[in-house]
Amino acid sequence: MSSISSRLRPTAAALGGLGPSQPVTGLVWRSGSLIAIIFILALLAWRAPLLLSPGNIGLVLAQASIVGTLGFALTLVVAAGGRDLVKGGIDLSLAANLGLSAALYASLLTAGWGDLPALGLTLLAGLGVGLLNALAVTVIGILPLLATLATMSVCAGAELVLTENLTVPASSPFLDWLAGQGPLDFPVMAWALLVLAAILALLLHGTPLGLRLYGVGGNPAAARAAGLRVRFYLALSYVLAGLLAAVAAVLAVAFTSAATPGSDEMLLPLIVTTFLGTVFSSRLRPTIGGTLLSALFVGFLVNGFQLLAISSYWANGIQGFLILVVVATTRKLGPGARR
Amino acid sequence: MTNLILRHGITVVTVLAFAFFGWNAQGFLSVPNLASVLVNNVALLAIAAFAMTLVVRTGGIDLSIGTAIDMAGLAFVAALRVNLGVTIAVLAGLAAAAATGGFNALLITRLKISPFLATLGTLFIGHSLQQLLADGGNPIYVTAASLPPAFQFLGHGLILGVHLRIWLVVILALAMALLLSRSSFGRRLTASGMQVNVAWYSGLPVDRDIALVYVLAGVICGIAGVLLTAGVSVYVPFAGNAFLLNAIGATFIGTTLSRSHVANVQGTLLGVILISVAANGLLLIGWNFYWQQLATGMVIFLALAFTFGGRRLAGGTP
Repeated sequence: MSSISSRLRPTAAALGGLGPSQPVTGLVWRSGSLIAIIFILALLAWRAPLLLSPGNIGLVLAQASIVGTLGFALTLVVAAGGRDLVKGGIDLSLAANLGLSAALYASLLTAGWGDLPALGLTLLAGLGVGLLNALAVTVIGILPLLATLATMSVCAGAELVLTENLTVPASSPFLDWLAGQGPLDFPVMAWALLVLAAILALLLHGTPLGLRLYGVGGNPAAARAAGLRVRFYLALSYVLAGLLAAVAAVLAVAFTSAATPGSDEMLLPLIVTTFLGTVFSSRLRPTIGGTLLSALFVGFLVNGFQLLAISSYWANGIQGFLILVVVATTRKLGPGARR
Repeated sequence: MTNLILRHGITVVTVLAFAFFGWNAQGFLSVPNLASVLVNNVALLAIAAFAMTLVVRTGGIDLSIGTAIDMAGLAFVAALRVNLGVTIAVLAGLAAAAATGGFNALLITRLKISPFLATLGTLFIGHSLQQLLADGGNPIYVTAASLPPAFQFLGHGLILGVHLRIWLVVILALAMALLLSRSSFGRRLTASGMQVNVAWYSGLPVDRDIALVYVLAGVICGIAGVLLTAGVSVYVPFAGNAFLLNAIGATFIGTTLSRSHVANVQGTLLGVILISVAANGLLLIGWNFYWQQLATGMVIFLALAFTFGGRRLAGGTP
């Protein structure tokens, strides 16, 4: 036990690279952003009372489970890679990985594979894409932004070859169960999102492994000096992210009962989800809880728009506007603001 | 030695690609095919990649080059449809693209948002804007009544037997090479790209220069947008995004040509030619569109692996 805590100490020192925590500003900041978001949701709920009906909440959660899972994946990568967007951690291949994994999963089921082997191979494929990213970033040394951009186009190409840009319908007992209602009359996919969030939050925020991932991302030089295998943790984050993309792919196939082309449209919402989520953290770090909250917020926002019959054409613009507002205000007002 | 191989590696790969497709693909080395590759594949990608090169030179990135291209096409077509004349329409297109770049500049230099997130936001907003203005993303055709000869010239014109697009690529390449390597503006940009803090403390007008770069990149994309739209007589929403990945790939492949790994015009042009030749050659060999996508992705991945892996082997930090 003492060996663990003594090994944790230098890691915590590595975290110092993020700047000393500022509890007061951090708290004000966090509650401020929470209040803003609750206010927006309350406004939506007031105009569209259906928004907060139990059935609708379940639907929003089930819908958010796909982009939320991808958001968790990006959260891991950004945690271990650092927030510098060009040189730090970023995985642009997540959405394309989802597309490829979903296409593979649906094709395997269509080809008559059983649930378990198809699921296993799909998760393995997602993991493989993550491994390719890890290799490119840590062994070859390609900038993550470029490496994952390239794997993104490899995945998208492979998906096209596999599906010829057509929808692959899929059904199986497992998918039926996943798409159905679970305990408390809540969709299974909604439960899946919450359970996944709990597991990952425990992993990232409650274990030495999580602390080391943040340490590596916060200050690689300090982490290296503290004896952490920086490349290993960096690689691990990409591999886990790849695996999570495959999990999201299974959820996506369950949600639409098919693998559909156009997964690349998910890339931008997933980046928004992760970076919007940083406002819920006192140090403006991406956290699992923050990502979950922002996935739900964006989910309710888009859903509220639908209920209010506002054109879906606005959705992208609002998300783009949101991310700019969030980043600009965190720059100017948030904890650790510079200049 | 490793450096030498690295610096000329992309040239060798490009020559090998020419040799491979010349040997295997019927008609690849014929003059009409190569001319068509230049006009249809290389030219517009080169112009878009020049915009990217300029931004990457300052240490930034522009994910919204496709948006600038689309905005230019949209404004160009909109002006033509209300019969404002080709000159005004071209200016409107360039202005729309410049405004896109100006929006990026505002976000990056005033609000201090990182180029990646700022241009990502612009990409998002541009997507919505096009959906709203183009009725959900429907193509907008240039009506037959509004097709003066000047419009035809923009799309398919020849000067001394050479396509207008090629002339523009050559002029832009020369202008940018001169700007980057011979002007004090170019040296300031390179300084900002390498050590932005040092440049700032040295009293360079970093913010002003970088703002100008994003506007300039927008205008260059505007040229591509107007040429693209004039070439097919229709504005297709989100068409510009197809250039993004290849422009980034070409620009970073091109950095291998430079001793100090900075983005440069010659390298970018070589990268564009490599990507275009690979696409055309694979098409002639009989690979369908889907396999081409996969192969292009792999080519870019390998080129990047070669670039960065070589640098790591050579001992430099990427």
